[in-house]
Amino acid sequence: MINILVPLVIVFILQLIFYSWWWIILVPLVLGFFEKDSALKASAGTGLGVFLLWFGMAIYQWKNGGEIIVTRIAEVMGIGSGFVLALATGLVGFLVALVAGYAGFSLRKVLIKEYQIS
Amino acid sequence: MRLFKTILAFAVLLILFNLLNDSQGSIPPLGKFLNPFAGFWQNGEKLDQIDEVLDVKGLRDEVKVVWDERHVPHIFAENTYDVYFAQGFLTARHRLWQMEFQTHVAAGRVSEIIGEKALEFDRMQRRRGLLMAAETTIQRMGEDPETHLIIQAYANGVNTWIESLTPATLPLEYKLLNYEPEVWSTLKTALLLKFMAWDLTGRNSEMDMSIIQATLGEDFVNTFYPENTPRTEPVIPAAKPWRFEAMEPDSIPPAFVPQFVQDLRKGEPDEDNGSNNWAVSGDKTASGYPMLANDPHLGLKLPSIWYEVQLKAPDMNVYGVSMPGAPAVIVGFNKDVAWGVTNAGSDVMDWFEIEFKDDSYTEYLYMDEWIKSDLRVEEIFIRGGDTVLDSFAITRFGPLVYFGENTLENGHPTGLAMRWSAHDPSNEMMAVRNMNLATDRETFYAAIEAFESPGQNFAMIARDGDIAIRHNGKYPLRGRDQGKFVRAGRDTLGEWQDWIPYEQLPAISNPWSGYVSSANQNPVGKKYPYYMGWDYDDYERGSRINDRLGDLTKIKFGDMQDLHMDNFNKQAELMLPFLLKQIDLETLSGDMDVILNDLHSWNYVSDPHEKAAWVYKQWWVRLEKAIWNDELNIFGEIRKIPTRSVTARLLLKKSRLVYYDDINTPEQEGRAEIINRAFKQTIMELTDELGPYGEAWELGRARGTDINHLLSVKGLGRTGLYTGGGQGIVNATKKNHGPSWRMLVELGDRPTAKGIFPGGQSGNPGSPYYDNAVNNWVTGKYYDIHFLDSTDIDLNSKLSLTRLRNYQ
Repeated sequence: MINILVPLVIVFILQLIFYSWWWIILVPLVLGFFEKDSALKASAGTGLGVFLLWFGMAIYQWKNGGEIIVTRIAEVMGIGSGFVLALATGLVGFLVALVAGYAGFSLRKVLIKEYQIS
Repeated sequence: MRLFKTILAFAVLLILFNLLNDSQGSIPPLGKFLNPFAGFWQNGEKLDQIDEVLDVKGLRDEVKVVWDERHVPHIFAENTYDVYFAQGFLTARHRLWQMEFQTHVAAGRVSEIIGEKALEFDRMQRRRGLLMAAETTIQRMGEDPETHLIIQAYANGVNTWIESLTPATLPLEYKLLNYEPEVWSTLKTALLLKFMAWDLTGRNSEMDMSIIQATLGEDFVNTFYPENTPRTEPVIPAAKPWRFEAMEPDSIPPAFVPQFVQDLRKGEPDEDNGSNNWAVSGDKTASGYPMLANDPHLGLKLPSIWYEVQLKAPDMNVYGVSMPGAPAVIVGFNKDVAWGVTNAGSDVMDWFEIEFKDDSYTEYLYMDEWIKSDLRVEEIFIRGGDTVLDSFAITRFGPLVYFGENTLENGHPTGLAMRWSAHDPSNEMMAVRNMNLATDRETFYAAIEAFESPGQNFAMIARDGDIAIRHNGKYPLRGRDQGKFVRAGRDTLGEWQDWIPYEQLPAISNPWSGYVSSANQNPVGKKYPYYMGWDYDDYERGSRINDRLGDLTKIKFGDMQDLHMDNFNKQAELMLPFLLKQIDLETLSGDMDVILNDLHSWNYVSDPHEKAAWVYKQWWVRLEKAIWNDELNIFGEIRKIPTRSVTARLLLKKSRLVYYDDINTPEQEGRAEIINRAFKQTIMELTDELGPYGEAWELGRARGTDINHLLSVKGLGRTGLYTGGGQGIVNATKKNHGPSWRMLVELGDRPTAKGIFPGGQSGNPGSPYYDNAVNNWVTGKYYDIHFLDSTDIDLNSKLSLTRLRNYQ
């Protein structure tokens, strides 16, 4: 659970202040790097955390004055509904964070191995 | 293995980053765009989203803004600077992307946003000299301290808004196209004004007319392309005597056959960019007060062309529509005067073939001497590509817009230069400012003298009872037909010699008829001593408006509204009975009998449910093609065909005519034959397109109206609107074009007014105010306009207040 909540909270705070989308790469990358136990925790944990954040935030925006824009963009993108659009948003976040989390975890393993050999 | 997996993971991550961080073709950068903290999810707006207090850096005093139920800002300022600053600030708040994008279009800078595919467009915009003209204009505006103050105040307001933006609050289109706004400058306002001039005066048929004259002869041109078209009732009644001594142009240039052939009509503005306006005196109204109506017809887009606003400062209280990107009110009213505009249509753009010494284009032949041209170098930045340098010559006949492979028989390079009045320095902003301040006809006329380009028919009413119309603008003094053809730019013959004196321009006030009107038709009859052009709009709208205004008495707003929405098709009234008589009933098949019956019983009113209206329109178009598209197919292009009224006169009067025959068939076609053939062709083609004769053939469905987004992004426009009207009809609504602002004003003790435009105040597709007026516009409803005297508002009303607090 903590593996999901930590990326969710950190990315949420950073994005509230600094907006940029690539926090969902950077944060999972760093968190993945410091995850010692399993690749699954590093990748799926950050992936799910970001998924919940992006999906949840999208739903929040949609239901708080975003009805018109969401309907329009759903039409622009040929997507059936606002819910599907929010789901797609969450899935993009999930995919990116999943790969980033794994990449961070994997990098640490390589560096540690190199260090141990030398 | 571990290393390989790591590299693979980073490679995938890099690919994902690139895919999501950059636009992929027309797909926006999805990482940025879908980001719920800064992407499109942040562009939603609620109905009640109004701030009570806003801290605004740069104001001199506090400004109060009353918002009405349609989100029109009524700006109350303590000084002139603040009123325009606030206008810029609030317009940018609603329309920033639109106003900036339009200036990029005007300046030929679209490639900076969408890349190389816009290069040719940008190149043409530069060569037409829009940027050059804006630079000249801004210099002229700068010479007048008051104009300088208002355009600078407006720019400062826009920039204050831009500075307040965050990645989340950036307008949607920046996110779609992945770029950011730049600093607003006064040059951008000048660019918008020049773009408006281009949109309204940029059509020209000189090349076609030269080619037609060279191929089919002078008689053909004189007969079928006359200066005074049949049935036209000029803006200024033809009987009006002109009591002044007119200037005489020096010479009539000789006929000339251009050797540089170029399709000048490519990329030109819509042929129906025009409008209706009329004013009626108190003698004809129920209230006894004068009334004014206006509806400018333009390409319909979202965000809307106009931005509604009230501006109140110590010396001014004016209401109307503004152009997003320019300060003040362009069409509107104050307590003393109200005005509306229609496009003048007089010719202010001529083309000259220039002979150059060599392909450096630095010297051209003029009065038997080689004289130096200026070279202008334009830098066109291309997104994702190398900057392109484009240079072209500037001659005394204007910029050399077209040049290239062609050489003259003597081997010298040649090209076409464009002489356009909008290239000359002018200060329309000063005119608009003074119009907003005008108190009667005299002060209004004094104001519009500076509105040199684009030429407009200004109809106005004054509270003291005056009504008037003036064919206003700066028009060159020319010999008859001088601007009708491409001319040789090698001597003074054909060159613009002088300007028609302002006080001799066509105008009339308080005529005995009790009304004045215009609908882009020829402003004058044959008695007027100056040549102003020939390619005006046909007679139908003007004539219908005059018919109705002549008949109406005790006029109320409802009558004016009905006239704005009038769908009577005068052209059909003239031609349909005649055409129907020519139909050979023996040869009809399928649904043709039923359709013919509907045409017989049609009352010529092009309401949206009328199937006959669309059938007739299509029939007429095919008939025109049958008559003209063979002879006028010259050098692989269909050249300009004669106006509807000229073709109608021929059909009615000439049973035999060589042009009825299709020169591409061995048979000899006659009038009845082409009429029958066009009818059958129409029915067959419409059946193919729309299916069996039924609901789908209704005008509102078969044509209807689409108001697309400026970028033509599907989903951001309003399409399939059930509209009537059409070309040559007072309600000039077409597929993508029509009345862009309908306004009615009565000037009594207090002005009362109604208005509507097809869109809304906001340019944000996520706002309820983006397209809230579209449905009412379609059905012809209007909104009551609130002309406020103060900010003392009833808080129970639908009005709300924002204080723009000055902070440093």
